[in-house]
Amino acid sequence: MIAIIIGLSVAQIAVSNKLSTNGAELALLEKDIDGYKKQNMVLNEQVLQQSALTTIDAQARKSGFVEASVPLYLSTPLPLALKQ
Amino acid sequence: MNWRYRFVLIGFGFLFILIVARLFYWQVVRADELSALGQAQYGRAIKLDPTRGQILTSDDFAIAANKLSYLLFANPKEIKDPQTEGVELSPFLGTDSSSISALLSLNGYWVALKSHVDEQTKEKIQNFKLPGVGFEEQTTRFYPEASMAAKLLGFVGKDENGADKGYFGLEGYYDRQLQGKSGYATEIHDALGQPILAKMNDSIGKVDGRDLTLHLDRTIQFMLDRELKDGITEYGASAGAAIVMDPKTGGILAMSAFPSYDPRHYQNYSDEEYKNSIITDVYEPGSTFKPLIMASALDAGLLTPDTKCPICAGPVAIGGYEIHTWNDQYNADETMTEVIQHSDNTGMVYVGKTLGLDRLYSYLKKFGVGDMTGIDLQGEEVPGLRPEDQWYPIDLATATFGQGITLTPIELLTAFSAIANGGERMEPHVVKSIQTPEGQIIDIPPKVLDRPISEKTSKVMTEMMVNAVENGEAKWTKLKGYRIAGKTGTAQIPVAGHYDPHQTVASFIGFGPADDPRFLMLVIIDRPTTSIYGAETAAPIFFRVAKDIMLYYGISPSE
Repeated sequence: MIAIIIGLSVAQIAVSNKLSTNGAELALLEKDIDGYKKQNMVLNEQVLQQSALTTIDAQARKSGFVEASVPLYLSTPLPLALKQ
Repeated sequence: MNWRYRFVLIGFGFLFILIVARLFYWQVVRADELSALGQAQYGRAIKLDPTRGQILTSDDFAIAANKLSYLLFANPKEIKDPQTEGVELSPFLGTDSSSISALLSLNGYWVALKSHVDEQTKEKIQNFKLPGVGFEEQTTRFYPEASMAAKLLGFVGKDENGADKGYFGLEGYYDRQLQGKSGYATEIHDALGQPILAKMNDSIGKVDGRDLTLHLDRTIQFMLDRELKDGITEYGASAGAAIVMDPKTGGILAMSAFPSYDPRHYQNYSDEEYKNSIITDVYEPGSTFKPLIMASALDAGLLTPDTKCPICAGPVAIGGYEIHTWNDQYNADETMTEVIQHSDNTGMVYVGKTLGLDRLYSYLKKFGVGDMTGIDLQGEEVPGLRPEDQWYPIDLATATFGQGITLTPIELLTAFSAIANGGERMEPHVVKSIQTPEGQIIDIPPKVLDRPISEKTSKVMTEMMVNAVENGEAKWTKLKGYRIAGKTGTAQIPVAGHYDPHQTVASFIGFGPADDPRFLMLVIIDRPTTSIYGAETAAPIFFRVAKDIMLYYGISPSE
């Protein structure tokens, strides 16, 4: 019983000691995470800007695209009865 | 001997009680204060600002999002030469150097110089390596589609405490949902200032804002904005508005109003320009109101499409006034179908007389005229219907052709949804669902407000409106090959007690395809100058957008 108590106390000291020095590592990881979150936000902004219809329309016009004048319908509904 | 023993015992007992009481005082009574003192020594409280929720269109595109920005601040105690630094910072901040120098000369440790500084500007300032200047991360509201649907979105400004707050439109109506809640985090450090794992980020209370997903279709919105803006220019109008709704759900697919504003630079516009005329401004709808009256009479079983009008041979006299047709052409014995086709005011007066004031008033209430539609946008206003006992015979007559009665565009569109949707009037809604930060999706189901007319009446009225498009005044501009139900409107504008014959509100309302409507649309052109008529201004815009929508939905012509 005493041996268990002593053993657990030693284990606690060892774990606490390890944890207390992880602070520096943790700070670095947090800094990395913050960096990725920031990067993600900046990239998201760029994606939204580039995929906005107003941007695409302006780019299309600049590239010489024009609107289709007369649509061509490839399928039309069949009549109910055909005249023979 | 005994008394000495008792004396010592009592003494120790007393000391024990004293110690317990003192411990109780420090550990219970003063516990919070000591805990805070301790935290102040080894911990740091950080305010956590929530991220504002995004607003997404039906294709999950964030039409209102957040982007990274910075608050530029300075520590005046570290600035040795405020004048020089003020001159260097002035071009980046858009403020004169003397104002900046004044801030940098203040007696304090922290002063804000400019908020919402973008990344590029931040890098340029950092390159100067100015002492005493730093940046704090912020988020700024960002609208990737610029001023598309600006009146529907609203904008994010500041409240009296300088915190972000939504105004008008969706940003205003759903501000509490979008805002989220601030929280606080306690960060525990060791002697070197490194965070300690065991007590890391004990954050309390922060809740990010909820995202809104709209019924809004970005493509239809884009097409509507373009055609309406072009149409206003083409017809020399002072303003215009248009709405597209899914009549089966009440979902708003697109909403456009000009003149508009840029929500990114809302400060540059006046309060009047923020208002969305579709939900705030009333107007006399003119002939676009006729189908509602006709549908009421059909539904009451008083008339059929083939009923002949006995008073349509010439102008009709009512209460000292004379009612004319819009073109002073008269068709004796014309049918109700032809009354709608010719947009005949005298025929509508006959319909009103047949209905009578009681029934007409009751149907108007069922169609929602005079009531808020309940659309989820901030700022809806409704004038209310004049009490029945204040109507004169001339009021009954003029109301049948949409004059002398006012409503907002959204009221008219919502009333019309009953004709397009088998008799059921749907509540208009912009938001389809709300997503919590935890990922839970809260759907907002379609809501039936009322059933003013039967399904049979809605079908009959639809056919009458299809005939109006095919054979009426707008037939030259109709969309070939498609069955679209619609009605033109040309309403004179009341000015100082009389109607100005040269200024009108021109409009067109309709839905298509008539047999299975995918969209219901209202186009309003305010004071067009090239022509005063709805058939020549609003109708062409309507059909251009309708053609775009049919192509977009892949609906082939049926004829």
